Amino acid sequence: MTNPLEENQRLTTRRNLLGRSTTGLGALAVSSLLGREAMGASLLQGGDSSVPHFAPRAKRVIYMFMSGGPSHIDLFDYKPAMRELHGQELPESIRRGQRLTTMTSGQTSFPCVAPMFDFKRHGQHQTWVSELLPHTAKIVDDICLIKSMKTEAINHDPAITYINTGSQQPGKASMGSWLSYGLGSMNRNLPDYVVMISRGKGNLQALYARLWGSGFLPSQHQGVKFRSGADPVLYLKNPEGIDRATRRRMLDGIERINRAKLAETADPEIEARISQYEMAYRMQTSVPDLMDLSDEPDSTFELYGEDARKPGTYAANCVLARRMAERDVRFIQLFHRGWDGHNNLPGEIRGQCKDTDQASAGLLTDLKRRGLLDDTLVIWGGEFGRTIYSQGNLTKTNHGRDHHGRCFTTWIAGAGIKPGIEHGATDDFSYNITRDPVHINDLNATILQQLGIDHRHFTYPYQGLEQRLSGVEGARVVNGILA
Amino acid sequence: MLTTLVLVTLCGDIPVDFSREVQPILSSHCFVCHGPDEGTRKKGLRLDLGSVVGVERGILVPHDPDTSELIRRITHSDPEQRMPAMETGDELTADEIDILTRWVSEGAVYQQHWAFRSLASGADDGESDWGHSPIDGFVGGELKRHGMNPSPEADRSTLIRRLSFDLCGMPPTPAEVAAFVADTNPDAYGDLVDRLLARPAYGERMTLSWMDAARYGDTSVHHADGPRDMWPWRDWVIEAYNQNMPFDQFTIEQLAGDLLPEPTLEQLVASGFHRNTPTSDEGGAIDEELRVKYMVDRVKTTGNVWLGLSVECAQCHDHKYDPFTMKDYYSFYAYFNQSVERGFQTRNGNERPLVSIPNKEQRVLLESFAESLRLADAFLAEAQPPAEGLDAWIVSEREVLLQSQRPILGSWYSLGPFGGKGPTCVVARSKPFAYNTDHGPERAGLDVTQEVAGLPWKERAADEDAKVHLLNLPNNSAQYLLRTVESKIDQSVMLALGSDDSIKVFLNGVEVFANDTARGTSLNSDQVSLSLPAGKSQLMLKIVNGGGASGYAFEMLGSGLPDAVQAALRVEAGAREAAGLAALKSHYLRAVWEPGREQVAARAALASQRDMVNAGVSTVMVMGDLPGGRQTYVLERGMYDAPRKDEAVQPMVPEHIFPLPEGAPANRLGLARWLTDPAHPLTARVTVNRYWTMLFGRGLVSSVMDFGSQGERPSHPQLLDWLAQDFIQSGWNVKRSLKQMVMSATYRQVSRASQDGLQRDPENQFLARASRYRLNGEFIRDQALSVSGLLVDKVGGPGVKPYQPPGLWNEVSLNGNLRFVRDMGQNLYRKSMYTYWKRSAPHPGMTIFDTPARDVCVVQRQRTNTPLQALASLNDVQYVEAARNLAQRVLLAESDFAARLDLAFMLCTAHPADDLRREVMGEALKAQLQVFEADPAAALALLGPGDSMRDESLDPSQLAAWTVLASMIQNLDETLTRE
Repeated sequence: MTNPLEENQRLTTRRNLLGRSTTGLGALAVSSLLGREAMGASLLQGGDSSVPHFAPRAKRVIYMFMSGGPSHIDLFDYKPAMRELHGQELPESIRRGQRLTTMTSGQTSFPCVAPMFDFKRHGQHQTWVSELLPHTAKIVDDICLIKSMKTEAINHDPAITYINTGSQQPGKASMGSWLSYGLGSMNRNLPDYVVMISRGKGNLQALYARLWGSGFLPSQHQGVKFRSGADPVLYLKNPEGIDRATRRRMLDGIERINRAKLAETADPEIEARISQYEMAYRMQTSVPDLMDLSDEPDSTFELYGEDARKPGTYAANCVLARRMAERDVRFIQLFHRGWDGHNNLPGEIRGQCKDTDQASAGLLTDLKRRGLLDDTLVIWGGEFGRTIYSQGNLTKTNHGRDHHGRCFTTWIAGAGIKPGIEHGATDDFSYNITRDPVHINDLNATILQQLGIDHRHFTYPYQGLEQRLSGVEGARVVNGILA
Repeated sequence: MLTTLVLVTLCGDIPVDFSREVQPILSSHCFVCHGPDEGTRKKGLRLDLGSVVGVERGILVPHDPDTSELIRRITHSDPEQRMPAMETGDELTADEIDILTRWVSEGAVYQQHWAFRSLASGADDGESDWGHSPIDGFVGGELKRHGMNPSPEADRSTLIRRLSFDLCGMPPTPAEVAAFVADTNPDAYGDLVDRLLARPAYGERMTLSWMDAARYGDTSVHHADGPRDMWPWRDWVIEAYNQNMPFDQFTIEQLAGDLLPEPTLEQLVASGFHRNTPTSDEGGAIDEELRVKYMVDRVKTTGNVWLGLSVECAQCHDHKYDPFTMKDYYSFYAYFNQSVERGFQTRNGNERPLVSIPNKEQRVLLESFAESLRLADAFLAEAQPPAEGLDAWIVSEREVLLQSQRPILGSWYSLGPFGGKGPTCVVARSKPFAYNTDHGPERAGLDVTQEVAGLPWKERAADEDAKVHLLNLPNNSAQYLLRTVESKIDQSVMLALGSDDSIKVFLNGVEVFANDTARGTSLNSDQVSLSLPAGKSQLMLKIVNGGGASGYAFEMLGSGLPDAVQAALRVEAGAREAAGLAALKSHYLRAVWEPGREQVAARAALASQRDMVNAGVSTVMVMGDLPGGRQTYVLERGMYDAPRKDEAVQPMVPEHIFPLPEGAPANRLGLARWLTDPAHPLTARVTVNRYWTMLFGRGLVSSVMDFGSQGERPSHPQLLDWLAQDFIQSGWNVKRSLKQMVMSATYRQVSRASQDGLQRDPENQFLARASRYRLNGEFIRDQALSVSGLLVDKVGGPGVKPYQPPGLWNEVSLNGNLRFVRDMGQNLYRKSMYTYWKRSAPHPGMTIFDTPARDVCVVQRQRTNTPLQALASLNDVQYVEAARNLAQRVLLAESDFAARLDLAFMLCTAHPADDLRREVMGEALKAQLQVFEADPAAALALLGPGDSMRDESLDPSQLAAWTVLASMIQNLDETLTRE
């Protein structure tokens, strides 16, 4: 290995030489040159030299993405007056002809449904929380509930693509890949952006590789899926019959020949390749070490729930998220599936909450105890909310709710977010926003803000446009929730 | 860029080049407020037009920068006055101010954006005598101007490997390398190029790039991302390249093959280019929203591929940098907006319009059925049923018809759901279980007050006929719907049914219709003729939901007799016209008269056999326009539901780029003719630049997808124009154009860089050496398969499913139950371009190496260098198996270490091993032999992965140790890299 400082100097010179090239290739050459190892001292530097624009409050993000659209009405956005509305038709003065999905636009009746669950007030600010979330109820003083989230999309595929990439059309870069690109890596042994998927018992909507893809950004920034089982990262394990010593010998041999090639051709990509093979080698121990929960004390499982002992569950992924945060993975995204309650919402949401409530709250508590919450931004939420009116028949014990993008609830905590507050409000029907609307692009702009990034100036030139995560319509940072 | 600026400053007396120097500054810093977008324009000032709006106001005073308002403002000392305006946060550098000032001094002459100007003709300036091809003249001259020298020609082994990958995506065999090295014929190089261009692999290699641009996939992308068959289109592309179809024809057939006069089957298949568009089947989707999305994708793809322009921002507002207004955008969009397709499309196979592509065997069978059917039809056309029988039938049918009344329909009652999950469901099972199982009510004489299988009948009194009703069924469950039908007489009626998903129909407990399908509910998906007996009957529907939304629709249409027959019967005997009589006779002949009925039955049996063959015939989706067309409007902010009804637009090209040729029709064919007009400034430039990028690793215009004002300027503008001219004049001859490029001395240089060369031109834009870069992921895998002897080199056919880590599909699939089942045998070893491409979960072995997901057009791939790539090529079973087979191959072919090693290196790098490589590999072999001899189980374990058989005659420790060596060689930079 060459002297990291010299190496860095050489690369920096080259970087200056290239300037902020607008060509894909120029940027590519730089970004792969700045392969983690080769970056030496400037480990924190990403692909955009202007980032961070100011001192960040957050070093990393844990995003608990609830795929399918959790019902804000049954979990957070409660008003006692809803009980009176139960069974009544949704007035046209509320719906105002707004478009519905074609799953319910043909319904002749839109009966309002109050939650079939109890709500109590919790915490210092007497925040309403559903009985389905007993553990979340205990952390309301640590989190900020944004009750006025909104999106234009009304179906899953466009909505989940929108919130994760800033566009309803495929082809754009996901939030995690933007951060990996812009901020670079904080560790030498793990990817910058990790994705973990778990499934609930409710109606499962599809996910897509584009949700954690890198779009137009260099593809090394795409999310790396960590999975339960023998190969937590694809192709991580050596083939049977190749032990660690053999693998070491192989890499040493490869490196000797590659170094000779480097001397012959002076191609800096070879230096980067040598580094990447070394990183792969380190990942073969750092990843299993990360994934192995056997060193966690019993208290961990008391906090996150016994489910966390089962690999692949949401609860186990929450424990892993904390372990990744400790190891400085930049962006950790959990997708939990099954929130799409069209038909049997009361039964399904009960199951979804059982799978996620304790672990989500446990993760937040754990981060706080370990002092990680100060510089970790934690987000819990889905791609949209659900309708006040029943999809299909409303019975004493059962009903459904359709997709609803006009308002929904997301919570966010840590890293400079005001704890224990509610932001925004909706009408009596939890249908329209009455105060402080927060577009999904505003939320994304705010996440960037906490990471020290001015979303307006965090751009990537592609196809003649300055692409940005927060869209072209002028997103605004939600200053009201910032401490 | 820097180099250019320095140069310009050094040679101060060279006039400023407007398009290269001035326009980028105006475009980046000024056009947002003073450009084409009316919405953001300030003070009505435009700086983007050829004739400047503002000269009369003193904004630009030619030859007088001091009085020009523009110069005054960009140099103003007061930040409030200085441009660009403070709130934009944008500033001009001293260099930029200098360029603008000199431009005004020199007369402030605007020139059209370089890429929209006509192609310049002309040879190079004769500055350099390097090389032997016109290309070298241009490149050599540019190098000379920059004080740089070209590199020498690479050795032949390097050249043949470079050419083989660039033109065929494959490594050369050692025999090919040896033959080429030994070939003393002066035309050896050109002959090699000709041989490579004549191989089927050439078409495959070209198609691989085209698949990225055409966003080709084996699935539909959105929501369920269900399967589709577009591979016959992909095979058409391979064939077109291999036949060296001229690029103008290639363009016309893909954009508008369906609109050509009497299109051939191949031309229809070609038009499938734009059916690769991602589509959705999402239950709650709004049809028009989706349909608009598809058209937007087609505009974007066409713009990116042929024009090298990104026009998508004009979907919502006028373009900020290029003169492309919303009206231009929607006029262009109008070419595509004629499509007959629906927004909501199937998740299960191909959506209309489509064409069938029978294979040879199927074609023979279908022809024989057609002949038999023709005979049957001839009989039915000519047969004369006895007149007295016909007359008697007419009299009796007329009587029945006139008496008949509409049956009386009772309320619907529902029962269920059965199957699925949830509180009211009996057992949790699959959709086939729900569909195939008789859950109880499949019998006559049901009583709706009595429970069936413990569940009650519930009245659905509100359900109206001829409307879609939602059922909210759990996934994989069945629901029954029952009603009484009371008829005064025996009569035949027709039902129009819709269901989400499968449906069965029972009359008095007897199944009379079944359709196991996956679809959304619409009013008239199935038509079922029902023979109602007189009296009360029970009609029952069974609806089975496979997943997501569920529902049904029902309508009773009337008599089961054809309309024409009914109409004729209603007319009195004497008053019937010839057509009516013919209808009656025909019906009698076919449906009543015994010999006729027999013939009809025989014909139906034949038709059903034919249909069975047809069901196995592959189809491919093709383009088709609405016969009457569709009116296009400008959509407010690009919203599907906000057409500006006062802004109707007709299909039209952006004529400020190039005028529409005389007589070009106002459809996609006209658009294609415009693109392929020999005088079009963009198509040829963009296309040859793409080829150049493929061969040199970097475009002459490095922003391959952006020839607009924000894109990069060409590094060698005259060369680009020369290549484009030559391409057009040769009749858009693709192979010739490629050969032209690879024959140049520029292409044949060594890729070795000097420290000085790296410093001065790190991106190699001036081409003082060959580029050196990692192979495409497909080529890396194909190389491993090829050198190990595993490759099954078969061209075309449906996508194949080689090894893939488990669980990747079901962890993201709708309902979570879609499992990847890998293929066996030959399909494990096909070229990577044939790997089944599921666009929501594409094969990781490819995406890790930067293959795009292909859910959107990509003209230039990323090229990254990551640890995941190392893990894949070291550990993926495909590579471990290939390493074992490569080891086996060299062990069997040669008998001593050096020869074996040379063979392995020749296969992977086209060069034998040198001393260092022999030393490294020798040490590795020694160490591994020790390891495996001490641990035979480890040796056997390493030899296990993969379906291919191991040669048992080889000593396992030897083979395992050589497998380690083979894996090392597979992972060397020189193996992974095209030098």
